Amino acid sequence: MRFLRHLAAVALVVAAVVAGGLAWGHFADHLPSGVAQRVIKGVEVRGQKIEVLPAGAHPGSRPQPGIHPRPGGRVVIPNGGESLGLDSMFQAVNLPVLRDTVEIEAGAIAAVVIIDVARRKLRRARRARRARGAMPPVAL
Amino acid sequence: MTASPLASPADAAPNPGRRRRIAARTRLDFWFDAVLLLGYTLAYSYGFTGIGIHEWLGLGLGVALLLHLTLHWDWVIRTTRKLASPRGHDKLIWLVNLALLIGMTLCVLSGILISRVALPYLGINLTRIGPFWSALHFRTAEITLGLVPVHVALRWRWLVRIGRRLLGWRPARRPR
Repeated sequence: MRFLRHLAAVALVVAAVVAGGLAWGHFADHLPSGVAQRVIKGVEVRGQKIEVLPAGAHPGSRPQPGIHPRPGGRVVIPNGGESLGLDSMFQAVNLPVLRDTVEIEAGAIAAVVIIDVARRKLRRARRARRARGAMPPVAL
Repeated sequence: MTASPLASPADAAPNPGRRRRIAARTRLDFWFDAVLLLGYTLAYSYGFTGIGIHEWLGLGLGVALLLHLTLHWDWVIRTTRKLASPRGHDKLIWLVNLALLIGMTLCVLSGILISRVALPYLGINLTRIGPFWSALHFRTAEITLGLVPVHVALRWRWLVRIGRRLLGWRPARRPR
């Protein structure tokens, strides 16, 4: 019962974030300024690369074949169609991708652990110094 | 969303001299979090897994995120109530966890919306999905890749303590 109550609370929080995300997506598509365009700079979407041209540039100044100018300075560059890459699962040749992820995670974990240990040591040393200062002088 | 945001109350009672039994809840937290970290690492490595595994793993992570948060909801409530207190460490963890919740939720949501394998397999074909969602998916994935290890590392003492007991590690003794 308690678990279900907690699950309901979590679902409510997640639903709020989802609603916020959907609202953001809705309004981003309708923004007249460059906000949505800035977001999509250089991103590959369903086999096509979408780029934003620099201010003042005209789509016609890019002579590559297959480029379709879109409103708002966007150009869509087809780059190989709709291949889903379903034949590339867990290939050993792609192991460096996994290694990169693990290295980034390990690096971030190591950095946080080092900072935490250093912070604790510093705090302990400061406390010890303060305790020594508070002790009465030893009579000889 | 991987590491346990709290040291489980079950393993809090000190009992020196005797090897303590690890509570079932603590075991669950540890192994569930370990599987989540492994799943996230694989899901992020899109180039290695391929799109099919990436999407199904992402959907599974979405469900696991709900479960993980539910298991630690007590901590969320307790820490949220204590936010006004001057203690800093829990505040930092709370902020990282909040950012991770938002980032991970948006990442899974945008992943579902731009799905090319999992959703069509389930008979759902979303139309009129703009490039905004692809961009959001990439950005939130990059953000979560930064936040997940920080989330794990902020509880490294708990992880090392429980990991040592579960896996039978012994700290190396210094020669006298």
